[in-house]
Amino acid sequence: MQKNKQVTRREFLKGSLSAATAFTIVPRHVLGGPGQTPPSETFGAALIGCGGRGNGTFKAMGLEAKKLAICDVKFVGKADNKTIYTDFRRVLERKDIDVVAIATPPHWHALISIAAMEAGKDVLCEKPMTRFIAEGRAVADAEKRYKRIFQVGTFRRFDKSKNPRDILNHKIMKSGLLKNCKAVHIKRGGLKVKQWSGIVNPTPQPIPKSLDWDMYCGPSPLKPYHPHRTGGTHRGYWDYEGGGLSDMGQHHFDPVQWTFAKDDTSPVEIEAYAPPAHPEACGMWGWVEMKYADGLTFVFDSSEWPTQGEPSYDRKESREVSLSDLSEDDQKKIAAMPDPEPLITFAEAVKTRKRAGGNADAANRSATLLHLANIAIRTGRKIHYDPVKEEIIGDDRANRLVNLPMRAPWHL
Amino acid sequence: MAKTSFALNELVSKLPDPDERGMYCTDIDKTKIEKAIARINKGGHDSIIGLVNMLVEPGKGDDVKPRYALHCLAVYVCKHKSRKNRKAFANSLAMQLADDYSKAVKSYLIRQLQVAGGREVVPTLGKLLHDEELCEPAAQALVAIGSGTATQLRNALPEAGGKCRLTIIQNLGVVRDRKSVGTLNRALGDGDRETRLAAAWALANIGDPRSVEALLKAADSQGWERIQATKACLLLAEKLLAADKKKGALRIYAHLRKTRSNPDERYVREAAEKGLAKAEKTQMD
Repeated sequence: MQKNKQVTRREFLKGSLSAATAFTIVPRHVLGGPGQTPPSETFGAALIGCGGRGNGTFKAMGLEAKKLAICDVKFVGKADNKTIYTDFRRVLERKDIDVVAIATPPHWHALISIAAMEAGKDVLCEKPMTRFIAEGRAVADAEKRYKRIFQVGTFRRFDKSKNPRDILNHKIMKSGLLKNCKAVHIKRGGLKVKQWSGIVNPTPQPIPKSLDWDMYCGPSPLKPYHPHRTGGTHRGYWDYEGGGLSDMGQHHFDPVQWTFAKDDTSPVEIEAYAPPAHPEACGMWGWVEMKYADGLTFVFDSSEWPTQGEPSYDRKESREVSLSDLSEDDQKKIAAMPDPEPLITFAEAVKTRKRAGGNADAANRSATLLHLANIAIRTGRKIHYDPVKEEIIGDDRANRLVNLPMRAPWHL
Repeated sequence: MAKTSFALNELVSKLPDPDERGMYCTDIDKTKIEKAIARINKGGHDSIIGLVNMLVEPGKGDDVKPRYALHCLAVYVCKHKSRKNRKAFANSLAMQLADDYSKAVKSYLIRQLQVAGGREVVPTLGKLLHDEELCEPAAQALVAIGSGTATQLRNALPEAGGKCRLTIIQNLGVVRDRKSVGTLNRALGDGDRETRLAAAWALANIGDPRSVEALLKAADSQGWERIQATKACLLLAEKLLAADKKKGALRIYAHLRKTRSNPDERYVREAAEKGLAKAEKTQMD
């Protein structure tokens, strides 16, 4: 079996456009040593999900990575199971692949991330990390169980972590000295609500011959095919994502979560202002207010509903934390605190085996913000959340959206 | 089937029309929608049946508004904490599952039971576990409801085949049905790979020490099945350790440490060593 795989790799290198620069990639595990880095520092890599974000996500790994395999459910009739695949499981079986970039629609993110780590690969996964909350915990468990590198495909936290003002805020919040946090962070607009809404009356269409529709749907319910459910516009359906809020929310709130030192917790109270949600298609909403146990408030303001282009949220004003929120003694303690360690990039993490800055625990918490916001929108009621148990308190039916059942054979 | 009343039609017509893109993005009036749904709710059983009668298979007509109304109603009865009202809604929908609607419409009704259903609809959903087209939504609604589900799944398994069998096996793991451990252990020898893997995961998630040897044997396979059965072993070991059943956990970790000797499985060996150290430490404590 191993022999066949080596032949396959050579065949690929021989036949690919990169043949001119071809060389044998020795899998990391063969060489061993610190970080298991091969002398060439070139890693065998695969891209799973080859749509609009595919190449961008692959490049974002920032590694000298040789693309040995590409995989997409739309490659039916084109797949050779040597370099081009439709089934990610066959890619993950390969022992010459060290790192995997995942750029499928989000309903596949967690399952493929977990499977890749189970197969010993490191993972860079496009945002949003997950489709629902329980997936995030399962990814973080796999990251720890197998000691693999996981990084979510949003990177603004790396810039924040170098900004003096954000570093100070981070230290204030991390210190635990601020008992009653009055900070309010409001994100107005930029959440692409209209852009990533779904069609409420899609007429079923014939499935393209190049598409494995059953595999596309994967863990989500098998619905009649419509092109709007694929190719980027999938973002507008609960089955695959969660609208613009899910699509853009992690970009906006993952860095802020770092600034406010909330990588290890979640809000406890979530309230939305929105019309009743459609069961399948994501649609309009006004704002979502999320309060942490220490009083910190995050707000998503769509600025697209009820009036396009106008803010919807007017309960509170934006407010930052500052040293003056603390007593003089506590201010001195903050001044004496060391700055946080620099965040580790994916490439550095892969080479050194240190945890990446956007690791699964942190990414799970920022993805949870999006999911809690959408649960409040979909249920139309105020949600109380337990950040330790990662479940909704006192509302069994809202809690059903925390851990969605999957279509067999897919499971976390 | 009951006739749809004029009043219900009036209320449904107040719900939004899709915009030019076919979306609910333009002229969405929250108050108007909520008032209409509250009034439909007041119509009770007849209103629910009326809405169900308006549903059609996808592509066979326009049912956007009643489809939306029924879902809004499912959310509404959960939001307004009248247990009686929610239960009545769920029972009314469940009754329709025995009626002569298309499978696509029934599937939609089951999805609404996944939102608002409770113990009262569990037996009805259990009867659908042998239906090739409805077993998946039925199983998903059942595990969402939770209470009473294990019995339905367990009782349905012996007569189930194909996709239904796979679905039931997986979901017995979701609900952690200890009474199914023997059956699931036997399913590890099934001719179908997906069934074997679903059984392996289910056994791991149940966390019963009787599964240790069978899962270790399964993990001696090759390729994808080896990766997945190994995951099941590690998951089972974690569950056993958490439940203070160290003997089984130690057996799993020791076996994996011994058998994952190839460099390409070093990460598994290391995971086993870490687990072993943790198990031994707890044993000493």
